[in-house]
Amino acid sequence: MTATTAPAAPAARARPPRVTLPGPARLLRLELRRSIMPWLLPLFAVLFWFATYRPAMDNPPFWNVRSGIVQSHTMLAFAPLLAGAAAWTGSRERRRGVADLVGVSALPRWAAQLAAWLATTCWAEAVYLAGVAVLYGVTAHQVAWGGPLLWPVAVGAAFVAASCALGFAAGTLLPSRFTAPLAAFVMFLALAGGAFALQANITYAEIWPLNVQGAFPADAYGIFYPYLPDLPIAQLMFLGGLAVAALGGLGLPTAAGGRSLRIAAAAVTATGLAAAGTAVALAGTARLEPHGIVIPALHDAASDRPTPYTPVCAHTAIPICLHPAHRLLLPDVTAAFGPVLSQIAGLPGAPVRVTEVAVTSVHAEPSNGIALGGPALGGHPPVLYLPLAGMTLPGQGTAFSITENLRQQDGPWILSLLVGLPGQLGAVTGVNVIPDVAPGHSAQLAVLDGLVRALGLAGPGPQGAGIPGSGTPRGTSTGSPRELAAAQRFAALPAAARHAWLMTHLAALRAGQISVSEIP
Amino acid sequence: MTTAGVGRRARQMSSAPTRGAGRFLAGLRLVRLYAASRRVATCLIVLIACAIALRTALHWLPRTGVYARQIPLTIEAGAAAVIGVTADSPFGEPERVAGRWLPYLRLAAAVALTSAALGLLAAGSASQHLAGGTVGLLRDLAGFTGLAFVTGPVAGGALAWIGPLGYLGITLPALTGHWTMPWLWPARPPQDRGAAICAGLVFAAGLAVVTVRGARAWFR
Repeated sequence: MTATTAPAAPAARARPPRVTLPGPARLLRLELRRSIMPWLLPLFAVLFWFATYRPAMDNPPFWNVRSGIVQSHTMLAFAPLLAGAAAWTGSRERRRGVADLVGVSALPRWAAQLAAWLATTCWAEAVYLAGVAVLYGVTAHQVAWGGPLLWPVAVGAAFVAASCALGFAAGTLLPSRFTAPLAAFVMFLALAGGAFALQANITYAEIWPLNVQGAFPADAYGIFYPYLPDLPIAQLMFLGGLAVAALGGLGLPTAAGGRSLRIAAAAVTATGLAAAGTAVALAGTARLEPHGIVIPALHDAASDRPTPYTPVCAHTAIPICLHPAHRLLLPDVTAAFGPVLSQIAGLPGAPVRVTEVAVTSVHAEPSNGIALGGPALGGHPPVLYLPLAGMTLPGQGTAFSITENLRQQDGPWILSLLVGLPGQLGAVTGVNVIPDVAPGHSAQLAVLDGLVRALGLAGPGPQGAGIPGSGTPRGTSTGSPRELAAAQRFAALPAAARHAWLMTHLAALRAGQISVSEIP
Repeated sequence: MTTAGVGRRARQMSSAPTRGAGRFLAGLRLVRLYAASRRVATCLIVLIACAIALRTALHWLPRTGVYARQIPLTIEAGAAAVIGVTADSPFGEPERVAGRWLPYLRLAAAVALTSAALGLLAAGSASQHLAGGTVGLLRDLAGFTGLAFVTGPVAGGALAWIGPLGYLGITLPALTGHWTMPWLWPARPPQDRGAAICAGLVFAAGLAVVTVRGARAWFR
């Protein structure tokens, strides 16, 4: 075989031309590959599992409950570590001793630093959003009603970016081996300081990024009415402003770039600080409303319109209707209130229906507390409005404990309303104590206490405890022996006799025209 | 002077008492250089700041509740993180090859800084109510510091802070969720034996690892 007859060597396969990315994208790709964050992803995954996923799964499958955990728990665990990791990235050039070398490159340092920050933030956002996606995906299979709340997720994402920006700025401006741990440590302390300020009822502290609708229990908002976005908007403005200010601050030193670039950086910094300051000022005007935190300047009246729904009802002596999101609660609520409602069904002034509502009344308490009202009677014909916010929910306890909590908490309250007393008195009487109130109400209190005893709403313990000479005393009896004896007498009546007496005398009892001695 | 004279003088200088003093001075110099290379002085300043922060926080903190545990724990974890990053060597391989006394120096620095942190934080909490008391402080600080020492050789000395501060991120929900695993020692009462054993084991392991291997600079 000669060279002329030898088969021609196959031509080298032409390689597809590589896509040439524009300069900033190439820089970002480079930074994404060089970032420390991929190595930290397993740690963040473990943190998400412990700090968010596990506590969320310990709670009932309600969107509002689990979305709140995403914002508060996740960020408490993530933000300090992200600040530390970003500070470590920011101090990279000084740590490697290449600050002078890269300082004379054509690319402005500010642009290179922004690329490094962006790469860290991209990784952080990816792990955060992936965790949220898993949690929301699992929750979507469990919930009975509604959709995911996205405002808490948005605040969390903004906090991720702000943590990275603040940490990165610290690492760049104060490079040292101690900068990264101190950035993380200071972030932990800042979050703790915000919690303290909130607990001290400083209104401006509402801006605290872990704050989800103030002191509201997680199950008290976002179901009957839309999730109020006022506070999340202010938080987004605050966090965005902080991030912009920190990143703008990187462009201020002489080494960051030319004069025009530094002027632009100063303008960016000022804008960021103004946005953050405005957000804090807006948070100072926040007030507690029945459906969440309202900031007047940011409030949209459309948020005050109730979300339409078709209630789910149980056919008891008095029908009980709940929101479909709380469908799981219906058997427990029915079991808890069934005996009470059977006793009062048909009585004059008794409710014809029990309807669940978000809240009946709300007011702020010291130390970032909140007082939610109990059940309320209203309308013609009367309807009992039953709030379930702040109750032990399915998934938080056994079915028996949920039923008992409802019985002991709201049962006496409902009876108290029925006999014409404030509901709170029912809660006191529910522990076998007749409180010392005006003499005109003695008969009402005695009947109420008798009903509480008869229906077994007073919790574990001997019936009649607290009555002198009745055995083991419990609580502090402030009622007179006459009232207590009347209560015990009324409780001892057969249910039909009690019902018949109430049917005849309830209106007079409510009007204060019945004396203790007239109670059978 | 001839070269023979130089040799005689050198022999005179290296007589036994002088040699001992010289070794002592060289040892002191070695310790000083080691401390300077690890920024031990800065670490001590930060530990003093932590003690002041603890004292200030305890003045304002409620005596019970989650915050009464969270804030001191955060400060202890911060102190441990700072101790952890002092293990980072700026010289790397050459120092490891040539430094015969390096393991002893590492051990001494680790023990001294942990003791200093314990003393400073205990002084910071003196006459104030520290939830968990000094026993709890000892257990938690030892555990956090052990985690920092374990993380140094694994992730690099400059990233040793990730161990204690990452663990703190797990601990905070454990305090509110009342988790009871012994390896979550900060969530257990100070007298709990299992928690003390876990924290002690982590500290011992960290001390052993950092002494033998030192903190490696995997990430730069």
